[in-house]
Amino acid sequence: MASMRVLKLGLCAALCLSAFACGGGGGSTAGGPPPPPPPTNNTASVIVDEGPSNASVNTLFTSVTVCAPGSTTNCQTIDHIQVDTGSYGLRLLAQVLTLTLPVETLANGDSLAECTEFVDGFSWGPVATADIQIAGETAHSLPVQVIGDSRFTNIPANCSGTGLTEEDTVMAFGANGIVGVGPFELDCGDCDTVMHGLYYDCAATSCTDTTVPDNLQVPNPVTHFAADNNGVIVVLPSVAAGGASNVMGSLIFGIDTQSDNASGTQTVLTVDDNSELLMMFNGSSFANSFIDSGSNGIFFADSSITTCTAPPNDPTSQIVNFYCPASTLTLPITIQGMNGIMTNNLTFDVGNAITMLESNFDAFPQLAGTIPPGNAGTFDYGLPFFYGKRVAVAVQGATTKAGTGPYIAF
Amino acid sequence: MPIFQSNDFKGAALGVAALIAALIPHVASATLGQPEITVQTDVELAHATIKSSEDRTAYRVHEIQMPSGTVLREFVAPNGNVFAVAWQGPTRPDLRQVLGQYFGSFGSTPRSKFSDRRHVQIQQGDLVLQSGGHMRALSGRAYLQSAIPSGVNLGDLH
Repeated sequence: MASMRVLKLGLCAALCLSAFACGGGGGSTAGGPPPPPPPTNNTASVIVDEGPSNASVNTLFTSVTVCAPGSTTNCQTIDHIQVDTGSYGLRLLAQVLTLTLPVETLANGDSLAECTEFVDGFSWGPVATADIQIAGETAHSLPVQVIGDSRFTNIPANCSGTGLTEEDTVMAFGANGIVGVGPFELDCGDCDTVMHGLYYDCAATSCTDTTVPDNLQVPNPVTHFAADNNGVIVVLPSVAAGGASNVMGSLIFGIDTQSDNASGTQTVLTVDDNSELLMMFNGSSFANSFIDSGSNGIFFADSSITTCTAPPNDPTSQIVNFYCPASTLTLPITIQGMNGIMTNNLTFDVGNAITMLESNFDAFPQLAGTIPPGNAGTFDYGLPFFYGKRVAVAVQGATTKAGTGPYIAF
Repeated sequence: MPIFQSNDFKGAALGVAALIAALIPHVASATLGQPEITVQTDVELAHATIKSSEDRTAYRVHEIQMPSGTVLREFVAPNGNVFAVAWQGPTRPDLRQVLGQYFGSFGSTPRSKFSDRRHVQIQQGDLVLQSGGHMRALSGRAYLQSAIPSGVNLGDLH
């Protein structure tokens, strides 16, 4: 056990040192103008694979180096952190975290914890601070959530009451962590003044719902980078119609801050306060639609497309909520930003999800599923949107050559 | 997006809300599958307010404004029982309260190959639970299949 720990620490230290070397800034020299600092390495590798739960499809991952605040040696690089343009903030599974990160304290001295609500469940754990690094980008004393922390095991009833599944382990969460890089800074719009059951004041034995100042909340880490902090660009290659086992791509930080993230002639669609925009499909308008790397398919309602039948050996399979047309469908869609800009001649494909399931691939450009009638105003265009594209997500207030965030451009 | 039109509104409905408010204030059991008076329990426990009550063809809907900004709608059948609930807003309501005995029947579904963080559709016995959206904008609904009054369009329950 002890030697294992030493080995891990040694490996971490080596990774961290090399990572920090990549991101080094320039020094100044006496006499004459200082040479310009070398550009920060702003590009992280991303991969679509089956993930640590061996059960992910169309799920984008990257690696993040986490250090105790102020330390460049007490560090750990964690792989398979999901890259999610549909949420905000860095969250790490305690199960894979070998560091002990300091938990944030409120003005009254109590600890701060969070109950993160994803659609399919909730994740509970303290808000801690860490110095983090992705590619060469760094953020210091960043609030991050530590999910499933053994120091915080008493889940408040109104956290678990938000329901569905507790996702506090790698297997339940499907990733070693998640990095929310959507077009806003904070994971809650008004938690500084309104109690939402998201942030909790934890005294010795119990935790209660609380408001919390913005600077203690868990932010999109990109907005706290020293540089390249106005958004991200996700670059993924096209994927064969039938799928692929792995897809490699790039997560570029910053928009118009370096030569590799310059705006071109892309379509710029601004989004509303919920990061939503308008999609028009099949003669209907869907006003609460979104483009989202954290959705693993293309989700919309179309009763004319056959849904899948659960395989006999798995009668409760979620596959029944996906589409299984006899042959691939190519369907037109128009996406319109809040700025009125519309896409032109955009189509998407719907393949047979059972065929995909049987292929054992992990990346599927044609994976599409139903959306419940209760979400009738939504078309959710997930990771398949990103294949074969360079998609920029500009944060609120970001000034770029292509416009002012929040926007999505491609 | 307006969920219902004001011309559907019937004056009697506000009276119903007031009547509910006047009834037994603390009922331990929760709403889904329970009598209409438990709507008020949800309102009180959540420190919320009934924003409107409306009679539609085949059912009545109470719209509850939560302090968090989330709107909860509870649908009452002619027999006086709540047969569906739906929510929309930045955070979910307390489903343990709102779903009552049905909460937890979907407890620990293992992560299946195609599950993701944005969609849930669960059918467990009589209960159907559907949820969607993304961080800062969540929506969903739950209903009892056997309790849906005839003539109700499922697409209207949101």
